[in-house]
Amino acid sequence: MKQIYALLLVWIVVGGVGKAWAQDRTLSGKISSSADGSPLPGVNVVAKGSSKGSVSDVNGNYTLLAPAGTKTLVFSYIGFLTQESPVSASTNVYNISMTEAAQSLDEVIISGLATSVKRSNAANAVTRISSDELVGKTRPVTLDAAMSGKIVGANIVQNSGAPGGGISVKLRGISSINGSSEPLYVVDGVFVNNSQFATGAGSGSFSGAGTNQDQAPNRISDINPADIESMEILKGPSAAAIYGTRANAGVIIITTKKGKAGKTKVSFGQDVGFSSAIKLLGSEGWSLDPIGPEGQTKFDYVFGNGTVGSGSKTEIELWQKATAEGKIYDYEKYIYGNTGKITNTRLSVSGGNDKTKFYFATALNDETGIQKGTGFQRKSIRLNVDHKLAKWVDFSIGSNYMRTGAQRSFSGNDNRGVSIGYTLAYTPNYAQLFPVNGVYPLSRYTGDSPIAIAERTINDENTNRFIQSFTSNIYFLQKPNSTLKLALQGGLDYVNTEAEVYFPEDLQSQLTRATPGASRYSKNRSFNTNLQAFLIYNWQLMGGKLDLTSQVGTVRLTTDNDFSWIQGDGLLPKQKNPNTGSVRTFSETWQAWQDVGMVAQQEANYQDKIIGTVGIRFDKSSLNGDNEKWYGFPRASLAVNVAKFGFWDYEPISQLKLRGAFGRTGGVPAYGNIFTSLGTTIIDGQLGSVTPTSVGNPTIEPETAQEVEWGVDLGLFKNRINLEATYYDKKVFNLLNPYTLASGTGVTQFNAYPVGDLQNKGVELGLNVVPVELSNFTWTSQVQYWFNRSKITRLEIPNTTVGSGFSIYGRNQLRLGESPTRWFGSPNVADAQGVAQATRYEDAQPRYQISFSNQFKLFQHFDLSFLLHTSQGNYNSNLTIKQKDTGGTTTDWSKVENLYGNVGLPNGRARLPTNPNVTAREFIQDASYVRLREVSLYYTIPKALLTKAFGNVVSNVKVGASAQNPLTWTNYKGYDPEVSNFGNQSVGASVDNAAFPNSKRLFFHLAVDF
Amino acid sequence: MKFSLKHIVLLAGLAFTLLSCSFFEVENSIDPNNPPLESVLTNASRIQINQLGIGIQSAIRNGRSNYVLVAGSIGREIYNLASTELTWTTELLGSTNGGFSATTLFNGYYADFAQTRRRAEYFRIAAENSAPGALTDAEKEGIKGFVNTVDAYTMLIMLNMQYKNGIRIKYTDLYSPGDMLKPGPFVSYEDGLKEIRRLLDEGATQLAAGGTAFGFTVTSGYAGFNTPANFRKFNRALAARTAMYQSDWTGLLTLLNDSFFDLNGAMTTGPNFTYSTTSGDIVNPQFQQMNTTASPVVAQALFISQAEAGDTRLKKVTKRTSSRALSGIIGEYDASLYTTSTAPISIIRNEELILMYAEAMIQTGKLAEAVTALNKVRVAAGLKDLATAKPAIVNDKNGLIDELLNQRRYSLFYEGHRWFDMRRYGRLTQLPNDQPNHKVYDQLIRPFAEVQWDAKNPQ
Repeated sequence: MKQIYALLLVWIVVGGVGKAWAQDRTLSGKISSSADGSPLPGVNVVAKGSSKGSVSDVNGNYTLLAPAGTKTLVFSYIGFLTQESPVSASTNVYNISMTEAAQSLDEVIISGLATSVKRSNAANAVTRISSDELVGKTRPVTLDAAMSGKIVGANIVQNSGAPGGGISVKLRGISSINGSSEPLYVVDGVFVNNSQFATGAGSGSFSGAGTNQDQAPNRISDINPADIESMEILKGPSAAAIYGTRANAGVIIITTKKGKAGKTKVSFGQDVGFSSAIKLLGSEGWSLDPIGPEGQTKFDYVFGNGTVGSGSKTEIELWQKATAEGKIYDYEKYIYGNTGKITNTRLSVSGGNDKTKFYFATALNDETGIQKGTGFQRKSIRLNVDHKLAKWVDFSIGSNYMRTGAQRSFSGNDNRGVSIGYTLAYTPNYAQLFPVNGVYPLSRYTGDSPIAIAERTINDENTNRFIQSFTSNIYFLQKPNSTLKLALQGGLDYVNTEAEVYFPEDLQSQLTRATPGASRYSKNRSFNTNLQAFLIYNWQLMGGKLDLTSQVGTVRLTTDNDFSWIQGDGLLPKQKNPNTGSVRTFSETWQAWQDVGMVAQQEANYQDKIIGTVGIRFDKSSLNGDNEKWYGFPRASLAVNVAKFGFWDYEPISQLKLRGAFGRTGGVPAYGNIFTSLGTTIIDGQLGSVTPTSVGNPTIEPETAQEVEWGVDLGLFKNRINLEATYYDKKVFNLLNPYTLASGTGVTQFNAYPVGDLQNKGVELGLNVVPVELSNFTWTSQVQYWFNRSKITRLEIPNTTVGSGFSIYGRNQLRLGESPTRWFGSPNVADAQGVAQATRYEDAQPRYQISFSNQFKLFQHFDLSFLLHTSQGNYNSNLTIKQKDTGGTTTDWSKVENLYGNVGLPNGRARLPTNPNVTAREFIQDASYVRLREVSLYYTIPKALLTKAFGNVVSNVKVGASAQNPLTWTNYKGYDPEVSNFGNQSVGASVDNAAFPNSKRLFFHLAVDF
Repeated sequence: MKFSLKHIVLLAGLAFTLLSCSFFEVENSIDPNNPPLESVLTNASRIQINQLGIGIQSAIRNGRSNYVLVAGSIGREIYNLASTELTWTTELLGSTNGGFSATTLFNGYYADFAQTRRRAEYFRIAAENSAPGALTDAEKEGIKGFVNTVDAYTMLIMLNMQYKNGIRIKYTDLYSPGDMLKPGPFVSYEDGLKEIRRLLDEGATQLAAGGTAFGFTVTSGYAGFNTPANFRKFNRALAARTAMYQSDWTGLLTLLNDSFFDLNGAMTTGPNFTYSTTSGDIVNPQFQQMNTTASPVVAQALFISQAEAGDTRLKKVTKRTSSRALSGIIGEYDASLYTTSTAPISIIRNEELILMYAEAMIQTGKLAEAVTALNKVRVAAGLKDLATAKPAIVNDKNGLIDELLNQRRYSLFYEGHRWFDMRRYGRLTQLPNDQPNHKVYDQLIRPFAEVQWDAKNPQ
């Protein structure tokens, strides 16, 4: 099938064609990995068109006695792109640098808690992201940012553009309404915490935004992405069933780097980067031009009642004075228009021998945000050791200590006029807010001055975290056709986050309080452990044709949380310690729960032709109403490699796999859902008890998800073109949600109730192509397309609003037959029963997403790549523009475009909800975008040059530049279509309310291996 | 390699370890942070009863802020110029397309007061089923009377806000599980008032049998009303207020006689909600610092311009150093009813009782008595008596009604009465609109959860 090699012609021109030789010749050379220059042992080298072949040795060297007339050598190795090298007459030495395949059919993916399977045999579409894909191109500081656009089937939403991330990942639609729809993260077998801990920033003394609106980073940001070897994403219950009641939202399995036997390798990496806002909204100036139908000025509208001459005289004078003195400022640019600096420094040492291997890594990450004083820092140190104690026992330990800090200031929703986005929306450009002799002038326009908030308040957190993993395999039986082993795994995750939120006593927004000055110091400690033991028996029947793996095992997970804070209000001047407050409040909350699971699974593989798995897991949890009840989660899957059967002789199709998988998972109720507890209150200095307004459900059971997944994997032309097509149907039964009761009964809700069923259906398509594969030019390309549709298929409760949001501007509702993320807003229309119902708008969930990733390798030394990602048809409820319209700061405020039939009215007034024709339509906005997520160019300095300069000390030097989110195409009117206020929630996530703007980042990279 | 003894020992050891550390156990959780509700529903101790009683007195303050802000805005007494929540100056003033949104935030008071009602109900059950000897029979009667009074107080506010939508009057038999899923139907405004009267009357009887002291601590806001007998006077005052909404003028007069009404007494006499900055307590929700910019509560301009010269009740507002404009509303005066964050809020006071007396007199044709009562209020506010100030109206029933409503406007400013008063007399169209697209609602929308509940569970 030579003719289909698209650019054979190019190959001839570039590589030239060797002359034919009359006799055998000895060819030799060294084979190395293009990624890090390390030698590749075990690579197959074949003289094309002959049966002569050889294999590279432990140092990557090969020699081959090639027949006369050999024109091409073919190099192939598992996990790497097969490469051809032309043979010329002039030299007998051919050094080859091989590139890792983007997605190898031979790579191994997880099939159980203790077993794995080759991708070519897998029955599920499991996305695997390699280290190179994750952070090899550009280097976002946090893991969540590095995943964007790389997971087919995922919808990733950001809840703040502030440094330190804060991203929610939803795999195959939402899988819970009330509970977390975040996947379970497992790092080297340790179930790690991905909470957002409360800081109190949204509490009444500070922004007053409300609980769960502290805008804290998620804890997955503690993990250093550079330590990650690979991530596997089990997207739905059919793949994740074996994880039981924690896996409803999918599982992300992270494997960290391990040492390799051989020479000790020291790697050093340094990145320097810069960040800036993707977009600023700008602000319109002021004038006394008549813009209204009766000649009203902008002042008449914004600082008056809309009649001619009603505009505040004071404001006009302030404007005139500022204009005369040239004191007109762009406050938004001052706050968000800065350039952030990013430095990442990495040092790793790895190596070992046949018995012991180690990987040691330290990293320093430091990012300052686009707003002065914001930032994110991480210090991480890791040691992974693998040791083979005896022929029948080995173990691995991994220790990782991290210290992360985040300074996030105040943005997003707010009820006291302090959030910077809010204050900017209302601050005219003639306001004088810069400090005079250290005193910050009070703002006349909203609760506080954006400059004072940015420069005088504190919203910081620091996390100390330790993750320890342990695995061990003990072989009882090691025969050629049967092995029996005990696989033990355990781990702990200790995370302690200390947060400080502080508003000085003379801050404008504090002056209005009864007790000015507020400081809260929170300590959130979470301790998680997991322990598992599996017996795995691998045996072969039918003379090795049938390979069977049986496993039984048990798992135990525990969580122990301690959340406490102390707050001082009415602080002594310039004091930050809560103890100096005249009113001191404190809180202490304990939580503890345990899960136990039992697993049995049988896998069968008939000659890699038919591969089947059946398994079941039983779980019980202290979070369920009945702590002794076991819940069963079965799974079954089948993959048939049609192309491997004898009858298959159609050469162009090298792989044809039909696969189907079924599985169930569960979602446990949230902690406390079973309790109905008394609260406390104080009046007149006396302690009182109040009965709860929401009640627990002592019979609550887990919500369960069941998924059927069908797929076809197609490999064409020796797998140079791979197509993976998947259809899934995921049903979530007994969705847990608060059951809103008739509010007149005085009981707001059951905290958890099985309210109905949800269905997610979707398609995921992945196409991997190697359009060009030549010694001097390789191009690999991936296109992924996916969409998900959600629908409530059963609803036992009345229609209810879910998630957060702001009534008339759109909220999500649970309604039969509708997506739970669909928007409903004004106007109200009476339905068939005469009940006023909000109007139905679009869905926050995208219609579809496409990502397009390309890697080019030029002349062995240049690597160019880019990743384009688009999300189409997703709608946000955008309140940011409305704030700016009210404050007179939108850029087209004074334009008269007769919007909404408001003839003659300037846009800034015509768009406000005060106008009868303005409905939620104005606020529910298309947030589709096309984004260049990553682009990078690297140059690997040629080996010869290095040897000349450094002798043998330096083995590889790579330099490069990259950018994250450099270009965005969108019609969205807010800061960024991806940023939302409640991004951490399952539903109601896509509300944009004065959020922290998202950043683009530019990096320069240096990597040196010794 | 063989499956040898050492392996068996190892396996046995592991199995033993798993079992001995309770590997397979998960605990039966109890809330480590708070006591369970069940602990008070039966066999409550006297201490627990006391804490529940204090709890009700604290909880009854909830909903006040939302209620007076919403009723005050629709009654065009005040505006909440909240730049962080523009619906206060748009949706609430009638300018939004389609009226209130289904999930409007202006029904916040509804859930709060309904919760107080439910909590009072739990208090009654806890008292009835309290541990033997914890309460005397008289104390149990006293608690029932107290609970019925609280019940009626909250229901009257809910009903007035919902008006023709009505409210649910029955919802509870806490002894039958799942009953809270079956609330009773909504009843009309008139039937709602009837039920409130009935509850108050029942409460009065129970209070009369309540002995000399309550079985729980009555907080300082109820000084003078802290025994069953005195508390009954408060109960009768609330009943009189209810009678006013029923236009039952003779009933009103009878009830006033049983209340703490005193034509010659201090205007301020009456029970109060108290506040403090103590940790866990709340501060006066209507207190605000002057001249704030985030969400000042400002007076509607006519409150100042239409006041009679010398009216000391204008102290209830304070001129701002600079006006605040939002959504086309200009605020020149901040509401300054309460000067500190711990100032008490009057629940019902003699001033209102005198005005109710005056109204009953006007309506029953005893204009001279009405003038006498109105003069008490006028003089207390620094105004001349009617014979001097407005001689034309002293014998004019309609003129006196205008005067009465005006006195109520100034005496009860920003306390949640004006809107209902104008509605009682069909004068909502006389309320001012600051923008041409504003309109005065005559009632709130029925809460979303209630509408959806009934749609799903037809009666």
